[in-house]
Amino acid sequence: MGRVSTKRFQERLVDALGADAVRTDPEDLAVYSFDAFSEETLPAAAVLPKDARDVSAIVRIANELEEPIVPRGAGTGLCGGATPTRGGVVVSFARMNRILGLDVPNRRARVQPGVINLELSKHAQPHGLFFGPDPSSQKISTLGGNVGTNAGGPHALSYGSMTNHVLGLEFVSQDGEVHQISQDDFGYDLTSALVGSEGTLGIITAIDLRLLRVPAAVRVCLAAFGDVETASEAVSAIVGAGIVPTALEIMDRTITQAVEAHYHAGFPLDAGAVLLVEIAGEIDDIDASERAIEKIAREHGALSWRSASEAAEREALWASRKGAAGAIGRIAPNYYIQDATVPRTRLPQALHRVDEIARDHALQVGNVFHAGDGNLHPLLMFDRRIPSQVEAVIAAGTEILEACIALGGTISGEHGIGYEKRDALRYVFSTDDLATMARVRDVLDPKRIFNPDKIFPSGAACGEVRAQPQVAVGAGAWL
Amino acid sequence: MALSRAEPTLPTPAALTLGEMTPREVVTPAGVDELAAMVRERNENGEAIVVVGGGTLQGLGHAPQRYDVALRTANLNRVLEYEYRDLTIAVEAGLTVADLDAALAERGQFVPLDAPQAARSTVGGVLASGWLGPRRALYGRPRDLVIGMTVVLADGTIAKSGGMVVKNSTGYDLSRLYCGSLGTLAVIVRANFKTLPLPAARRVALATLPEQTRLRVLEHLAALEIDPAVAVAIQGFRDDIDGRDGADGRLFFLFEGSRSLVERATRDVRSVLGAAGVPATTLIDAGASQSFARLVDAYTLRVGDRSVTYRSSGLPSDLFVRGETFAHLARSHALDLERIEDMRTGDVIARLSAPVSGQLEERIVAFDAALHAATPRAQVLAAPEPLRGKLAMWGSPPRSLDVMRALKARFDPNGTLAPGRFVGGI
Repeated sequence: MGRVSTKRFQERLVDALGADAVRTDPEDLAVYSFDAFSEETLPAAAVLPKDARDVSAIVRIANELEEPIVPRGAGTGLCGGATPTRGGVVVSFARMNRILGLDVPNRRARVQPGVINLELSKHAQPHGLFFGPDPSSQKISTLGGNVGTNAGGPHALSYGSMTNHVLGLEFVSQDGEVHQISQDDFGYDLTSALVGSEGTLGIITAIDLRLLRVPAAVRVCLAAFGDVETASEAVSAIVGAGIVPTALEIMDRTITQAVEAHYHAGFPLDAGAVLLVEIAGEIDDIDASERAIEKIAREHGALSWRSASEAAEREALWASRKGAAGAIGRIAPNYYIQDATVPRTRLPQALHRVDEIARDHALQVGNVFHAGDGNLHPLLMFDRRIPSQVEAVIAAGTEILEACIALGGTISGEHGIGYEKRDALRYVFSTDDLATMARVRDVLDPKRIFNPDKIFPSGAACGEVRAQPQVAVGAGAWL
Repeated sequence: MALSRAEPTLPTPAALTLGEMTPREVVTPAGVDELAAMVRERNENGEAIVVVGGGTLQGLGHAPQRYDVALRTANLNRVLEYEYRDLTIAVEAGLTVADLDAALAERGQFVPLDAPQAARSTVGGVLASGWLGPRRALYGRPRDLVIGMTVVLADGTIAKSGGMVVKNSTGYDLSRLYCGSLGTLAVIVRANFKTLPLPAARRVALATLPEQTRLRVLEHLAALEIDPAVAVAIQGFRDDIDGRDGADGRLFFLFEGSRSLVERATRDVRSVLGAAGVPATTLIDAGASQSFARLVDAYTLRVGDRSVTYRSSGLPSDLFVRGETFAHLARSHALDLERIEDMRTGDVIARLSAPVSGQLEERIVAFDAALHAATPRAQVLAAPEPLRGKLAMWGSPPRSLDVMRALKARFDPNGTLAPGRFVGGI
């Protein structure tokens, strides 16, 4: 797009929303050009709508001028889903951050997309309710972004991912119309179709969410193992025995040592892997469940077992787990997080392959993952100032995805496809599969202006150079 | 192309009549490839296909506008992969729910689909019809348990989405779009589910619910500390569910979980009911599953040719308001009302009947119009075939119908798959 039309586009946005809600200075736009994955191009504008009417106006203008629209929550996405790739307008939901209604008797809430995930649970807590999906980014990531990626988190094991919690949506379609859709309506389940579509089908402006009752009692237990494979075998045995705790998380020695140095939650430093088990329910059930799980864990190689019933102790363990990626900043200048899922009984094999692949490429790897769901998150450590290491990380990341697919798995459990993995989508789906998905997009995004270059493989333009991971260290990355 | 397997009881076209439409032909493909080839060919010929599973939920939806072929999935009845240690299973769409249950039970697992007439109903039919049972508040809707799906589109394309893993953010989750589409977007041929460990204990608790204390009791139930798997108030359905007194209503609870949880839940319910003046609670342990199955079967059971059953969906908080709307309209249209009011999901299942079948049509047609004027979301679950064309089977058209029409046009431009069966005549 030329400068003249860029200027015209910016003016139209300012006319519609007011100067206060539109950013056009390159210095201001820089913050909208990247997410926790990578930096792409500067958008022509970034806008801060206050309601669905503003969003509708933005979409109408962008549609008329055929400019891309990229919705953005907190920018914590790890796959480049919120980065503009060809200019256009980034829609930030920073000003659409209100909880619109809490319906305690029916256990539901209506929120604007910019509400922070954890804020909803805090808001519902006094009423004995909470929101289930808890991505590790939940202190800063938005519910709108969580809907876009079908986010999960440690508790997806028992509560499911976002798609199991979204009851209805308000969204703006390409013609600027504001739609109210609900799971309760008869007809095609458009609500579920939009969850996980990463902004490619419409711009979500309000979300109806299911809330859950706070369990009567919660306990977090910690088991130490010799290595991650053994810990994974124990996880398979627990689930295979018909016990599904609320969370089953594994961290390897590299990660445990990094988080212990940072959080001092009391993790054993000599263990090859630790398994975090959360059990929730009625108090007398919890004792019985813990005994059953401990027995299986010990039979499968657990070296020690510790349980935390006190809230402060539990919270320290969870804070460590959810801050794991950030803590890696202590041991490596940069890291790249992969997200893949395998059938849970294949975890030991998958971890073995991850280890082999990292060694082949002379990379250090840390593993911190949602074991109960078979959802891996290898962290590959590198120094981006060394080009050969960057290449090695990209190659290793791809090999890990291929290995997981070979084991019957898939290339994203909760982070989404975004820009990063769009070409890898071909490893999972046939052309017919992808063309069928594209039919939905043909209906809702015929001009391909909603978050272009995301999810779908690059097709004819696949000679494009793949973006290099430039992951920020510390607070910027989550898994 | 392989020949279809012979079956002892092939249904005649007449038996598959929908409204006033009878198919010219009934076909039962032997497998997915044969099915896909058949669909492609019929699509090119401009013929219309209606998919039939067990036929148990064909009461939903309009009659098709055109109906050349009834496509039975009866031969797609295999368990394809059962990775019980992964808690996942992949099955063909024509597998009956009872066979699915049996396969899972061998490993102490289940998939709570809550399908009526499980011995006949098929996995594909339950998913395509968007069936919703009473346990969904606890376990999720059938589509929430689906982790992957393979379908055949009208042009014969075989397409999959999702996979065999329990957590997945890879591409559009189209399985949820096919669920509840009543076969108008694609033919479901395979579904992958996440399975659940069977609860250690299952118990049904029954209590009477006299009309004069009804609302007070129901208000008290909001204070339960443990959510039952099912909590419904029943009026009527006398012999269908438990053979108990039909004049008074009753409460039906299902508890599922550990033994201690079930015991606590029982004490919880008994204490709340006691405080509300309901003294006796009958417990069913050994026959709890059968008792629950009879409840679910009642959702689509008809009283001869003289009843129509509706589902009204909405928030649990306005459940009894909607329940009363049915009662009021039934009285004013001289129809007998039986109802199941689901306190956990907000569903009202209402069966309206006339004393003799000759009186039904005139009364129910007037009732139907009044109902849809009063409540936005009400769907016909079961009605005598000749009435199908005379009732608003889906209630008022949904919002965003234009988007749905466009989806239909993009997936099935020739209108091959169940044309006219769906909302708004899609």
